[in-house]
Amino acid sequence: MSIKHIAALVSAGRHPISGVARHCRNDSLAMTMALNLVNRINATNSNTSQLTVLHAGNAKNEALYDYLALGASQIEVLATATDTNIVHSLAVKLADTDLILTGSRAENGLDSGLLPYLLAAKLNIPLVANALAITPMTNGIEVLQFLPKGKRRKVSVQLPAVVVIHPLAPVELHFAYAKLAVGKINKQASVTLADTRTENSMQWQTQAIMRKPNKLKARENKSGHARMLSATVSENKGGAVVNDGNSVEKAQVILRYLREHRLINF
Amino acid sequence: MTNHQNIKRINPRRAYQIMANGIKRIVLGCTANSADFIAHEASTQLHSSKKPVRTPTLAKARVLVILHSDRGMLDDHAKQSIAAAAILADANTAVVTLVLGELREDAYQQLASTGADEVLVISECDYQIFQPDIELAYVAAVIKSITPIRIFMPDNLIGDGDLGRRLIASQPQKTAATHVVEINADHIANYQMGGTALAFSHWPNIVLIAPDIADAQLPFTADALALNFDQASSTQNNANTQPSAYANLGVQTMPAAQIALEEADFIVSAGNGVNHVPTLKTLAASLDAAIGASRVAVDDGKFSRDKQIGATGKTVSASTYLAIGISGAVQHLQGIKDCRHVIVINRDHSAPIVKRADLSVIGDAEEIMQQLIIAINDAKTDPINKETA
Ligand SMILES: Cc1cc2nc3c(=O)[nH]c(=O)nc-3n(C[C@H](O)[C@H](O)[C@H](O)COP(=O)(O)OP(=O)(O)OC[C@H]3O[C@@H](n4cnc5c(N)ncnc54)[C@H](O)[C@@H]3O)c2cc1C
Ligand SMILES: Nc1ncnc2c1ncn2[C@@H]1O[C@H](COP(=O)(O)O)[C@@H](O)[C@H]1O
Repeated sequence: MSIKHIAALVSAGRHPISGVARHCRNDSLAMTMALNLVNRINATNSNTSQLTVLHAGNAKNEALYDYLALGASQIEVLATATDTNIVHSLAVKLADTDLILTGSRAENGLDSGLLPYLLAAKLNIPLVANALAITPMTNGIEVLQFLPKGKRRKVSVQLPAVVVIHPLAPVELHFAYAKLAVGKINKQASVTLADTRTENSMQWQTQAIMRKPNKLKARENKSGHARMLSATVSENKGGAVVNDGNSVEKAQVILRYLREHRLINF
Repeated sequence: MTNHQNIKRINPRRAYQIMANGIKRIVLGCTANSADFIAHEASTQLHSSKKPVRTPTLAKARVLVILHSDRGMLDDHAKQSIAAAAILADANTAVVTLVLGELREDAYQQLASTGADEVLVISECDYQIFQPDIELAYVAAVIKSITPIRIFMPDNLIGDGDLGRRLIASQPQKTAATHVVEINADHIANYQMGGTALAFSHWPNIVLIAPDIADAQLPFTADALALNFDQASSTQNNANTQPSAYANLGVQTMPAAQIALEEADFIVSAGNGVNHVPTLKTLAASLDAAIGASRVAVDDGKFSRDKQIGATGKTVSASTYLAIGISGAVQHLQGIKDCRHVIVINRDHSAPIVKRADLSVIGDAEEIMQQLIIAINDAKTDPINKETA
């Protein structure tokens, strides 16, 4: 197990109604998972691994105290001006980290879930998303990934790597005031940038939500008669109806349907 | 009564013509001619039953929709993404769909009805196999060869959300938006600031689309023409890159009993028409399906409350929903609107759920369940049976 440096990236969250600064749950999962991983490695192996909890932004943000209460002994803050490229500053800081854990989506900005991908691309290292569990191996890690419909996939990946934690990861969060009291927040000067361009930059105009999004529909140039028909005559919905035969045959009809649409694999 | 004769009567069946836009125009000064009228009726019938084809004959530009197939078919989210691209494309723009994963023959009809003009299939890919580097190389090769003006992808968990973000990160000069919840002719929108703000922008180059933002029901169809893609040359590209950093260690399906009903892919659901619960449980176990129930079945104490599906229960999105002895009240149907294949066993062929079903078998629930359990066990043990099916 040669995972020496593990980093967890935490962003500042905010309460959706009151706007009060708080932790972002997705990032807390990633951070707690990183803490557990470090404890596990250090317990079984003299080879000590160490965790850096990293935030790019304002060191005075109250949200950071939540992460202390959740168990971070120290949070490194890369002070960034509003227009700096945080992907670049984080990449410089994380250049020789073995394993970087992030949440799946922030809640205090564009919330695109792109940051881990941009970071992995900039560092030119592999990335695994939708992770539910991480197991350290002799060369690399094994990650259990979430897939819909009750499926889970196990993949292995070489280090260094970025792993994005899925919101359903089975991790328990424990807040403790005692930990908050001893934890420290370290402010670091951010790297000054030659490169202030941001990736995939878009101009956004926000408005506080007052309406639901509108669904895109094709414009139809139907005659009045056709519109009336489509409003009154219900569509020819409803599939095959099997009335005849005994119950053995009816059971076969169902089995055939299931097979034909590959809903069963026998 | 007295004025009766003074009212001017207008013949409601005056002669009319149907204009190009489908609107009826009454032709003044003409008397109704019954033969003419019938001809017009026939032409409108024809007009409404056959949808026009949108596919441009000579495309000046192309948009690309990239998505993974699921068991050879497209899910609703994928169809909505294609439909959105097709609705927004102008008359000279063709919609090219790149399907990663195997595609069944009958899926082309789906593609045509959702507006895919051209279709490219890379069948070695599969959403269950994790090979993002190879998929990204394929996608890059396709982009290079068809030079799309815009790329649409469903923002889902079967690989497209992940691949889309990798694509965005690999092309930092391109503008991109994820989790897009609204799109129309002049802007796109998504939620930001933790869902407290709706943010608008102009169309970016790469758009990752949230579910349900477009209606996949289109008034037109497309050609869904299969394109040949030179896989040899793009695999060549792959061979040049270093060995993959990823390895697959297998996909497992959680036992149906362990996962939440919302996540289940196969649900066997019981209603008031199920009298013998053990049979239903055996059936569910032999299909490895999760168990659901209607409210009446839950109220009767046959199932626990967390099994209730419907307006006041859970909303499920299983691929297969086997409804046994359920009448299909609206409150129940609300919970299964996202299910793809609904199969019904019911004594009553006029039950409302029959209208929702893809297959309805009319008969006694208990008998059919018994026979189905036997048939399934036979199918599992008898490999010859498998080949004849
Ligand atoms: C506010 C409100 C909220 C509700 N929310 C929900 C909800 O979340 N979920 C929900 O399910 N319901 C809900 N309901 C109740 C709903 O309206 C229906 O009453 C209920 O779904 C009916 O359940 P059922 O189909 O099992 O029973 P029934 O309506 O009694 O239907 C039984 C069906 O089984 C068939 N049958 C009977 N015997 C046999 C046999 N031997 N073999 C084969 N078929 C047989 C019958 O033909 C019939 O179609 C709600 C109602 C209200 C007012
Ligand atoms: N300012 C930040 N500082 C540290 N990590 C961040 C920051 N912003 C985002 N992240 C991480 O990147 C993930 C995805 O964020 P985003 O792409 O902004 O949705 C989050 O869950 C965090 O783990």
